[in-house]
Amino acid sequence: MMNSTASAAISSTTPRQATPILLYDDECAVCRSMARWVVGVAHDSAGVPTIDVRPIGEDPEALRRLDPRLDIWKVYAQSHLLMPDGAILIAGEAVAEVLRRSPGMAWCAWLFSVHVFKRRPFQSLLDLGYIILSDVRPVFGCKSCGAPALWARPFAWIVKMVKKLTGTQAHAPQRPNFTPRAAKGAAKRPPPSLP
Amino acid sequence: MTHRLSESSQSASRDGIPSLDAASFEARVLHAQGPVVVEFMSYSCAYCGAMEPVLQQVAQALRSRVAVFRVNVAIEVDLASAYEIEGTPTLVMFSQGQEVGRSEGLNPDAATVMEAVTAPFGLQ
Repeated sequence: MMNSTASAAISSTTPRQATPILLYDDECAVCRSMARWVVGVAHDSAGVPTIDVRPIGEDPEALRRLDPRLDIWKVYAQSHLLMPDGAILIAGEAVAEVLRRSPGMAWCAWLFSVHVFKRRPFQSLLDLGYIILSDVRPVFGCKSCGAPALWARPFAWIVKMVKKLTGTQAHAPQRPNFTPRAAKGAAKRPPPSLP
Repeated sequence: MTHRLSESSQSASRDGIPSLDAASFEARVLHAQGPVVVEFMSYSCAYCGAMEPVLQQVAQALRSRVAVFRVNVAIEVDLASAYEIEGTPTLVMFSQGQEVGRSEGLNPDAATVMEAVTAPFGLQ
């Protein structure tokens, strides 16, 4: 039986809607912050959202009803933006499109379309920024995001030591390669809304 | 890295491991005659995602001898509590409806998972 919050993520889907749908990981604090930010900036002057921001949820079939190409594991691994024309943008491309559709951010969004010698240098920078942010999510306390990338592990260790010294970390050692159930609280959280 | 999925992309692959809710858990695990492995997981758990292909491989290899199921702890909260699941992924092995073994955390290779899920049943 699907719990109501998890299914609310995608159950109200129409076959193809006019607004792009941004799927985000509601278990990850960094992703939730980003989703809240998108909700805050992605709307027109009348306050109508230009991006439909939804948590991914826990129902793979509901995701497939949204688009048969969606694999829930992959959707959790990278940001997915479902476009009205049927295209699916992921990772840095999804971020660029979100910026394009956020009136307040349009001043920088054009950069990501700039071509130099058949390449898009600003888009490449954005892609790199996306990878870095994705890799450091565990450093910022996301327990469901897996282990930090190899390059981020020294930072994770420093954060852990600082937390230990300042007494802000629970004393129980965390088991490796294991997501504690206490980290799960999606059912208690409402989806992001306008501030 | 592919940033745009093409229109011609194939549909996402279907799960090879059936999911159970409380009712089907009772029928397919507690009342099962043969050995059963249940993975307590959630889709938002990156370690579960990393173990998914390995578990699919093991489930495929054992399909005639051991039934493999999954229980999503984000949905089946009561089942997870009843079996004192502290985190994901957790593999719990059942024989005649009784727990006979447990393995917690990500095992990244098929041989380790195979050993973990067959040892409690005395299988090779």
